[in-house]
Amino acid sequence: MPVTLHERLEEIFRTVLNDDQLSLSDDTSASDVEGWDSVAHINLMFSIESEFGIQFAGNELAEFKNVGELKRYLESRG
Amino acid sequence: MKPDETTRRGDELRKAGDNAGAIEAYLEAIKSDEQPDGDVCLKLARCCERQQDYDSALHWLMQVVDSSDSFLHWQSAAASLTKLPAHDLQQGVKRTARAALLGSYTTSQLVPMIALAARRWGIALEVYEAPYGQYQQEILDPGSGLYAFEPDFVILALHAGELALPRFAESPAEAVATEVDRWRMLWEALDKRSTARMIMHNFALPFEAPMGNLTGRLPGARESMMRQVNHALGEAAGNAVSIVDCDRLSSVFGKARWFDDKYYHIAKQAVSLDSLPVLAKHTAAVLAADLGLSRKCLVLDLDNTLWGGVIGEDGLAGIRLGAGPEGEAFVAFQEYILELKNKGVILAVCSKNNDADAKEPFTQHPDMRIALDDIAIFVANWRPKSDNIKFIAETLNIGLDSLVFVDDNPAEREVIRQHLPEVEVITLPADPTGYRRALAGTLWFETASFTQEDAGKTEQYKAKAEIAQLETSAGSLEEFHRSLDMRAIIAPFDDLHLPRIVQLIGKTNQFNLTTRRHTMQVVREFMSDPDCVHFYLKLQDRFTDHGLVSMLIARRDGEVMDIDTFLMSCRVIGRTVEAEMLAQLCERAAAAGCAKLRGTYIPTAKNVMVKDLYSRFGFTEVAATGSVEEAETVWEYDLSAAGPIVNGFIEPLEDARDAA
Repeated sequence: MPVTLHERLEEIFRTVLNDDQLSLSDDTSASDVEGWDSVAHINLMFSIESEFGIQFAGNELAEFKNVGELKRYLESRG
Repeated sequence: MKPDETTRRGDELRKAGDNAGAIEAYLEAIKSDEQPDGDVCLKLARCCERQQDYDSALHWLMQVVDSSDSFLHWQSAAASLTKLPAHDLQQGVKRTARAALLGSYTTSQLVPMIALAARRWGIALEVYEAPYGQYQQEILDPGSGLYAFEPDFVILALHAGELALPRFAESPAEAVATEVDRWRMLWEALDKRSTARMIMHNFALPFEAPMGNLTGRLPGARESMMRQVNHALGEAAGNAVSIVDCDRLSSVFGKARWFDDKYYHIAKQAVSLDSLPVLAKHTAAVLAADLGLSRKCLVLDLDNTLWGGVIGEDGLAGIRLGAGPEGEAFVAFQEYILELKNKGVILAVCSKNNDADAKEPFTQHPDMRIALDDIAIFVANWRPKSDNIKFIAETLNIGLDSLVFVDDNPAEREVIRQHLPEVEVITLPADPTGYRRALAGTLWFETASFTQEDAGKTEQYKAKAEIAQLETSAGSLEEFHRSLDMRAIIAPFDDLHLPRIVQLIGKTNQFNLTTRRHTMQVVREFMSDPDCVHFYLKLQDRFTDHGLVSMLIARRDGEVMDIDTFLMSCRVIGRTVEAEMLAQLCERAAAAGCAKLRGTYIPTAKNVMVKDLYSRFGFTEVAATGSVEEAETVWEYDLSAAGPIVNGFIEPLEDARDAA
């Protein structure tokens, strides 16, 4: 069973936020998740860059409203 | 199933909430890996934590430190460490310490990582993080959070943007001096208000150099002056301030990775997230060295470690050493090992060989760099290495946790990891051309200061092994002591010897009555207190100069001379040095008009050897607190009734060099 984009993303979130119970939906945003503060956001974005081998542009980093938007961005990068 | 598939099965079980099943799968996946993947170690740690098996969780978190430099792994492991219950965190802790981290940039991620890296050294480190960018205010304001925290260490995490240097200076020396003075002022301000030791990150020169290759020829260029500032800060630091050489670190790591402009502009991350684990590791290593936790001895295998091939089978002409890429690599490895010896690391040999075969290359091979004289103790036989390594530690009278073991054979390494977990084991790559870097990459021999005693350490330990033989041949103990022809310089503390004195205070565990880890600042206070008596002893005998090996601090309390600190290096145990020290104290106490000596024994895990010391010298126990087994005891010696303690085996010397 191949690992989906959603699962990869969820794994990164769980690792960074240290919460194995965390589950993401497309609507999940920072305000829904305990511990997803500004420092955690930086940690998340950097870890996603490393794991997916991509680079966000500086102005993109703060702009994802929710997980769905982030996923669409990652999909568009192939 | 392949390891990857087994790991994936572990992932599925973990997500389904079956932590025990996941642990089993992960362990299966890594069972044949000497250094398991950091990602799997982290997952194991999290599963163990969930199972409330905190010992194992801690074990796997420490494995993450060893096997990974990834930000993701370290950030998560550091967060996990803070979640472990305090009680379980104490497992295997050698020291506890408090550090205040003051940064010129965002340090939220660095702080927990330093605690994680310190834990790997056995340090339970509590860290206070100063408000962003407030390092000057925190140091200058006596009411700041820094001073309320009462730290043992202050870590100053800085970036080059903090340097007030012009783009180009007409008189660069002046600009550099002004800048250096600014930092020295902060050191002094801290020193005045706190006994904490300063650990400062020096300035990583930026990726950009507008003057390009011309920079090096322009002393007035900003980047040239930064280099000078680093240099001058190092000189000014002396033994008073520790420095993490971030400029060197960033060069080794690669400046293109060390700096990440995007994260600087978004989050004021002046050191890239990518490089934080490395920075945390080095900061913790410097802190550990300051606490005296550096390893003391490197235990070497021989065949395929110091030369290619097996001496017992291939013979002197058959081993690969000197010529060819492999032979050169072994020479380079040996030369690096000698560099370690020169900075005070003791060398020992532990080899499965016949003794005569094992020694042959040392005496006969023209390309051998390490000589038999460089080795403090040489053990070549067919017994298990774990037994031999224990023997080495016992003979040198140092703890197993002072040893680092290097061996090309993964099976031998595994045996030592299993049987002697206190010993650090270096994982050598299969290719000998990578040996030197594998050894140079470990931080176990990080040193806090360098004294003359350090350079001659192997000789001193070697002499000790020889004396062990003389001891068995001399008739009586008295005869033996006389035959050593011992002389000593005994004198009050002075600035010249202060670094060595503070070093001994920091690392002496066994012969240490009170184990009070005074900082240099506190020792200076003793030195300026007229009611204090303090002196050190430097021992020589007909074999060797042992250097400064014992010291004592006492403070007059009415008619009683109260011993605050009394310690002795273990390498001179059984030489009557302790008797000489007490005899000297008697003289000084009498001169100060005291009628009594008072001594305290504070038990620790390591100092049981001095439990009865005061009793041996005729002191009477006057108080005991705590349990019978581990009681803190107070002892008194009545000078006027019992007369002074005398020794007579050590001749006190005047030394012109020391008197100067």
